[in-house]
Amino acid sequence: MNVAVMKTKAEQAIAENFEAVAEKLPGSAAVKARRSQAIGAFSGLGLPHRRVEEWKYTDLRVNVKDVLPSAINDATPLTIAELLVALGPLAHVDAHRVVFVNGHYRADLGDFSDAVGAMVAPLGELLSGASEDVIAPMISTPEGGDAVETLNTAFMTDGAVVTIEGGASLAKPLLLVFVRAGTQAQSVAVRNFVTVGEKAAVEIIEAHVVLPGASHDAQLNALTEVAVGKGATLRHAKVAADEGKALHLSNWDVTLAADATYRSFQFSAGLGLARNNQNIIFEGEGAKIDLSGAYLARHAEHIDTTLVVDHAVPRCESRELFKGVLDGRGCGVFQGKIIVRPDAQKTDGKQMSQALMLSEDAEFDSKPELEIYADDVVCGHGTTSAQLDPDLLFYCRSRGIPENEARALMIESFIGEAIDKVENEQLRDALTAYTMLWLGRSPRG
Amino acid sequence: MLEIKNLHVKLEDEGREILKGLSLTVPAGEVHAIMGPNGSGKSTLAYVLAGRDGYEVTGGDILWKGESIIDMEPDERAAKGVFLAFQYPMEIPGVAGLTFLRTALNSVRKKRGEAELTTPAFLKLVKEKGQKLNIDIEMLKRPVNVGFSGGEKKRSEILQMALLEPTLCVLDETDSGLDIDALRIVSEGVNALRDKDRAFVVITHYQRLLNYIVPDKVHVLADGRIQKTGGKELALELEKSGYAEYTHKAA
Repeated sequence: MNVAVMKTKAEQAIAENFEAVAEKLPGSAAVKARRSQAIGAFSGLGLPHRRVEEWKYTDLRVNVKDVLPSAINDATPLTIAELLVALGPLAHVDAHRVVFVNGHYRADLGDFSDAVGAMVAPLGELLSGASEDVIAPMISTPEGGDAVETLNTAFMTDGAVVTIEGGASLAKPLLLVFVRAGTQAQSVAVRNFVTVGEKAAVEIIEAHVVLPGASHDAQLNALTEVAVGKGATLRHAKVAADEGKALHLSNWDVTLAADATYRSFQFSAGLGLARNNQNIIFEGEGAKIDLSGAYLARHAEHIDTTLVVDHAVPRCESRELFKGVLDGRGCGVFQGKIIVRPDAQKTDGKQMSQALMLSEDAEFDSKPELEIYADDVVCGHGTTSAQLDPDLLFYCRSRGIPENEARALMIESFIGEAIDKVENEQLRDALTAYTMLWLGRSPRG
Repeated sequence: MLEIKNLHVKLEDEGREILKGLSLTVPAGEVHAIMGPNGSGKSTLAYVLAGRDGYEVTGGDILWKGESIIDMEPDERAAKGVFLAFQYPMEIPGVAGLTFLRTALNSVRKKRGEAELTTPAFLKLVKEKGQKLNIDIEMLKRPVNVGFSGGEKKRSEILQMALLEPTLCVLDETDSGLDIDALRIVSEGVNALRDKDRAFVVITHYQRLLNYIVPDKVHVLADGRIQKTGGKELALELEKSGYAEYTHKAA
């Protein structure tokens, strides 16, 4: 049944926004054509709402009332010292840095010239000069596509285009930093492309951080498209730490060639409303993924993790572990879909989603979905929600640890199990430090 | 000195009375063993001393160094020198042993009015105390007790005890799940802490542990009360005759 629905105020504003900025957004004629196509497609889709199954627990039509003006250019002054402040605990992670401020590339803040084996280019420049030949394989607007991704195509300003040479092995991670600065409340759309060549190995960290004093109000639409080559390894992390008001819409679309290894970790804290989508497709046999994450929500914050793992070919392995701490009226959503196609024999898939509920009013919605069409597979899923274990609390307190500190230690312990999945020790320490900051404790020296 | 006076305790949930007028005095510098059959109230006594929730003291008192502790929170008691070595030490996934030990030690030091230890000073202390218990730093970098064997868990309890320097040590079935070698290491760790200012309450089911940790006194606990008190030879007697006499008397 096709029902024409009245456009919401936000949907109208998006259309008007596009009219106003379309000419100023970067891109050749080919790119502009893609953008128009995308906004047309969005007009048909509208903001996703609860009657769209994938968005049942995160209704954007209800929750996105206003649309902020698009950040089509940026001249916010930002020094390296300020950047390090914005990075917080992540400043201690030794990495090659690629920096964007309010969705625009900033060469002066970056530091990746010695990243041997990696090519990094800002998307904005590439879009400006790109012919149809270049754009066609990168940007498409599929029928019935995701509304948020469609909006990303319409409004994207910049992002990192990262290519790792075949066989290259980077000693340090690439840190893609997206900083929000300045007092103007804006809507930012960025898109990244990551291509990891055959047998290459790299770690990429995507950080969404805020300069203290920046507008609390913000809307972000970030899409990262990843292709991991044959036998290659990508360790992929995202850290989004904000101040409790921002709208954060994130999509990672990942394809894996044969024998590839993909390990990801997503950390979210202080986000007003977040949707963390990860779509993973196994295209070649023998690939392995390990997806994990931790999220912290309180007040009326809402954090949604939605995973779609498509075992399209045989003999692949997937592991998922996500942990959320929910306080106040904080809400956590976990949707984990694992599809095992008819030919995907010898698939090995496991999923675990756990929430720690610290208040009576917290909410956790967990929806595992296993669609298995092959018969020789091992697949399992589990979900738990629990309060702090009183026996553990007593154990800590019997060692002299005061109640509030014991509680914090146990929350850290709960989250720590997920953080332990991160192989980079400096990143692990930074994530632990973020958790402690969230708990109102000073990070340990 | 520990003085337990006519202590009555019931389970908050069930309302069942477990300790029914237990009285016991343990002077500083002495080791007292509490022996008794299953269900006699041994573990309840241990938990009530440490201040676990779920138990209601309906009568009597517990005095430690002349001060009543029954209304104190578990962490306050720890700061006052009370330490319970658990029968089943808890695993804390995600918290490194060193982090746990340092948090505990500094919490206690703070409450005792002592300065917090710096990282190097703390590590030096842990290394020194750990060595005697065959616990190295690598083991403590792992999450607390996770994946530890029974013996490792008990040694880790004794290390905590050695670091926190309690004055009242309550050992709840410390011998359970230990083989002879582990039992020896754990007992040596405990014996090293024996001191004229320190009192020990050693709760055990079997006489075996008392060959290693030789008590000054042995008390038989049955049906929520101390039924008999004697020297270390009482433990040997019990090993032979069992608890039938006391459970019968109780019934």
